Amino acid sequence: MGHIGNIKTNRRGFLKLGATASAVGATLASTRLVAMEQELGGADFSAVTGEKRTAVPYTCMACNIEDGGVAMVENGRIVKLEGNMDHPNTRGKLCAKGNAGFLHVYDPDRIMSPLLRTGKRGEGKWKRISYDEATSLLSEKLRAVIDRSRAANDPSILNETVIKWGRNRTGGGIDRFMHALGSNAMLNHTNICESSKKVGLEPSWGPDIESCDWENTKYILNFGSNILESAYFMNPNAQRLVDGVVDNKAKIVSFDVRMSNTAGYSHEWFAPYPGTDSAIALAMAHVIMTEGLHDAEFIRDWTNVTEAQLLAHLAPFTPEFAEQESGVPAKDIRRIAREFATTKPATTFSYRGPCKHLWGAYQEAAIHMLNVITGNIEKRGGYCLPRGMGWPQPSPNPPKGPVPSIIAAPPLYPLASHHVSTNAPYMIMRGEAKVSVWMYYYDNPVYSYPSSHVWNAFLRDESLVPFSVAFSCFMSESTELADLIIPDVTYLERHDPESMPSGLFPCLSIRQPVIKPLGGTQEFRQSLIDIIHKVDPDGALGARKYFEFDSVEDWMRQHFDSIPGLKEEGGWDHMKKVGVWPTYGTVSKDNGKLIDDNGEVVVAEYGLHAAEIPAATMASAVVEPDGSITKDGATIGVQIDGKNHTGFGTPSRRIELYKESFRKYGFNPLPVYKRLPSRDKKPGEMILTTFKVNVHTQSRTASLKYLAEIYHKNPAWISPARAKALGIADGDLVRITSAVGYMVTRAHLTEGIHPEVVAISTACGHSAYGRLATLKHKEADAEWALGGDPDITNNVWWDDKGVHPNPIIRLSLDPIGGSQAWYDTVVTVSPAQPGDKYGDTKVSVEASMKDYDEALRYAYTGDLHRAAHQEVDVDWNALPRPGH
Amino acid sequence: MHADKFVIPAEAASATKLETDVEVLRAQAGLYAFLGRCLESEVDQALLVALRGPLRDTLAELGIDIGEDLRSGAPKEVLADLGEEFAALFVVPGAVLPYRSAYETGRLFQPQADLATAAYRDAGFDFRNILSGEFPDHVAVMLAFVGRLLERQAEALEAGNTDAAAEWQRRREHFLLHQIGGWAVGWSRRAQSCARHPFYLAVLGLAEQVIWADIGDIADEKTLKRLVKSNRRPLVKQKTDHAFRKASGF
Repeated sequence: MGHIGNIKTNRRGFLKLGATASAVGATLASTRLVAMEQELGGADFSAVTGEKRTAVPYTCMACNIEDGGVAMVENGRIVKLEGNMDHPNTRGKLCAKGNAGFLHVYDPDRIMSPLLRTGKRGEGKWKRISYDEATSLLSEKLRAVIDRSRAANDPSILNETVIKWGRNRTGGGIDRFMHALGSNAMLNHTNICESSKKVGLEPSWGPDIESCDWENTKYILNFGSNILESAYFMNPNAQRLVDGVVDNKAKIVSFDVRMSNTAGYSHEWFAPYPGTDSAIALAMAHVIMTEGLHDAEFIRDWTNVTEAQLLAHLAPFTPEFAEQESGVPAKDIRRIAREFATTKPATTFSYRGPCKHLWGAYQEAAIHMLNVITGNIEKRGGYCLPRGMGWPQPSPNPPKGPVPSIIAAPPLYPLASHHVSTNAPYMIMRGEAKVSVWMYYYDNPVYSYPSSHVWNAFLRDESLVPFSVAFSCFMSESTELADLIIPDVTYLERHDPESMPSGLFPCLSIRQPVIKPLGGTQEFRQSLIDIIHKVDPDGALGARKYFEFDSVEDWMRQHFDSIPGLKEEGGWDHMKKVGVWPTYGTVSKDNGKLIDDNGEVVVAEYGLHAAEIPAATMASAVVEPDGSITKDGATIGVQIDGKNHTGFGTPSRRIELYKESFRKYGFNPLPVYKRLPSRDKKPGEMILTTFKVNVHTQSRTASLKYLAEIYHKNPAWISPARAKALGIADGDLVRITSAVGYMVTRAHLTEGIHPEVVAISTACGHSAYGRLATLKHKEADAEWALGGDPDITNNVWWDDKGVHPNPIIRLSLDPIGGSQAWYDTVVTVSPAQPGDKYGDTKVSVEASMKDYDEALRYAYTGDLHRAAHQEVDVDWNALPRPGH
Repeated sequence: MHADKFVIPAEAASATKLETDVEVLRAQAGLYAFLGRCLESEVDQALLVALRGPLRDTLAELGIDIGEDLRSGAPKEVLADLGEEFAALFVVPGAVLPYRSAYETGRLFQPQADLATAAYRDAGFDFRNILSGEFPDHVAVMLAFVGRLLERQAEALEAGNTDAAAEWQRRREHFLLHQIGGWAVGWSRRAQSCARHPFYLAVLGLAEQVIWADIGDIADEKTLKRLVKSNRRPLVKQKTDHAFRKASGF
């Protein structure tokens, strides 16, 4: 006890006074002392003048998650980026990549002017020209293709105009452009990303991805997804995952060959043998069904299979079988299956880990099925449909080109609804398709594709690609091979409509120039308008009418000004001010959750599939014997127990665990596990996998200083036991050899990797993309050493840019989803040989061409496909003819 | 660094003697205009004609070698070669970007560009780009601006307005010291080390000498030392801490 004057005090007395004062609340609070951060974003002030900076909302595109952002602009210059608090799914937060994105704008290695090649392809000799000259030149080339098609009366020639993109967020702009030219030859990058996940999901329930209700779940099964660092919807998913685990006490179990940060964050991490996820998932389904832990009512009402069918199908997939294939103990598989089925609500999530293998679509379908049989679909805290919004295309909108493009839709991959872009160079080199004009947008296949040397050879060859155009603002490994570069602006200087299903609140957002395009550069969308106007100056071709926009902003207005609800709030003008629509609430300063005017947490809508069809819509509708509801020739819902529901986006409006479309081509209609060839590798061989890290995209961020300083080299992860057996110590030079060649890098020994796996991250080892990505200033070449960036010259302390693994990764495809099997390349790892130098890479185009032939043997017409699918009830002699 | 701070303080009045020789001023203006033109954009037919005609002998007398091909080669090929060299030197990624912003900060279009614009506008000029990717703090535009200020000074003298001439000289000297002096010489040296064609080697070398000579005339010793250091941009390499690198990465 102490004494202050006449007052007797002790600790209990202090606390009592404090508690009383606290209860009195705001009356006793200081009005002078305020938190430094008075507002949660949206306002910022100049450190020099104290003036309020201009805040301009935009949608991020540092990667593809499309988070809501606000750019702080001072004197016409972006000085800071932060999250948009009005975005309901990203809630005012940007990731490291998003925060660093404005460095793209002022990058001294940005291409600021159209360039016309003057030397040999890739020689680096250019002539500066104007946008007008550049678009005129391309227009002449495009017009020549059209004229030749007309003269020959052969519309297939129109498909010799090809565009390929890595990221296309134009909201239909490229489709409009290509269709106006009569071409369907559009290639995205999705088959090097998650396309087999999409194809595993779409025929089952409609959309190509799930939206887990992480925040309200109690149990998460994570198959091969690094949610906290890099997977699809990383930022919003990571926020809600942490909310779920911390606030809602959810358990997370991860299956990943590598201990990613997500695996490390999990309550349990298992490292299965690569490509065995579906064996584990099917074994869990086996346990759930055989032990009666399933949701019988949901299976009966909402799927196209019976319990008996499932039990019979799952019979061979026991936990013991899964243990034999994956190495994950059967007892753990059983235990986790029981936990997952009995803990409500629960959800799975998966990304590239399971699906980037031969037959990857099966893996995704097997994981998806766990949610279906436990009835966690569209439940609060469960596995939900993605929520997105659309926008109308300006009218008139051009029809598709008259003839399908065989490189956009290869006939041997009829189920691959997201293109098979990896095959394009092989098909053209083999004479299966022809190109006259090859355009690439936001695309760098010479770096980011498997056996990337094949793309290098392809794009260099003028007999295969007579004219190539890059719409890029950076000199990537691919851009440097172009004949003509028409630089786009960065994502902070241009217009796009957006809607990403990154959370449970559907919304629209926009990209708008937060500053005037730097130095008079021109956004891609304007170039498209100019090109079409030059291809069809008088409108006689019929293309110009699709591009009669007064300006790019006029194009945007036509997207947004007529959307019901938004129209009343101001349409495009509202979007420019707020950046996102609708507004669901505000982000709580206390807990970061979305709250309404009463301070209540805003609750998402669930059970979308069970929404009842209005009586008026049911008028003249017909309920078919299987319960599906049809009207005017289209299926609009499903009747269950007398109620008419909208259902899922499938032909039956139920979840189609049995996929007739798969069976038609000799694939198993139900989710199965197929033992991969890589599972039967020889002793001593290993499997090479790649991964992304939290501060980089695949290929576009190595030039950002903030990010490059954090992460710039990518040694090969090897388990200590395996390394010891190979005679390799931490940091040693190692040679990694696949069937197409070898690379020399350094070893990083860690227990966080499956002993049969060697893992190397992407994002490093650039040979182009500016002086920071390549560390050219570390070399003797004065041209680079004395370049324009003293910060790089003086302050880049690292001298290791990493080694890129993609050249030695074999082309290998999931014959269902058409996806590149990134994680199936078998390699040997050995100490470096005499003469090996760090970064050495030697690969063979000829060897890669053999991989293409091998891949085709797994396509639905191939011998290996048939051999692997003898259980399928199909007439093997009457499979559909390719292209029919 | 803010553009509104460009306003030339009264005490910045020129400490040098007012140049009153109009011919000298016009000659200097011509020299700066020449340098500006050569570095601002690719050599075109008109410039080629001038280099082969009126300028040929003078350049030769000064010992400035612009290259045999430029003197007598086929114009189409010469212009193409020089265009390629211009792009490689000043335009494409990896070039020695001719912008003060890039040289001093490693970023394009920083407040240095605003300072240049403010100076142009304050003197009754403005910047416009012809091709994309051109900024007000381009070394060639800055040199051309000095040339224009010299012209204005000459015109004022011819009109008998000594006060106005003094004001133009004050502007010029302030601009040379505060916007050109700290970087353009160092930049010219860097660009020379990368230049492959004799023409650009010659022009860059001439620019370096002209700028430095004029600055030497107007800067005091202390200022000169500061500018020498600024142009040299000494290497301030951070220490490599292997322990930190190990902890932060691998």
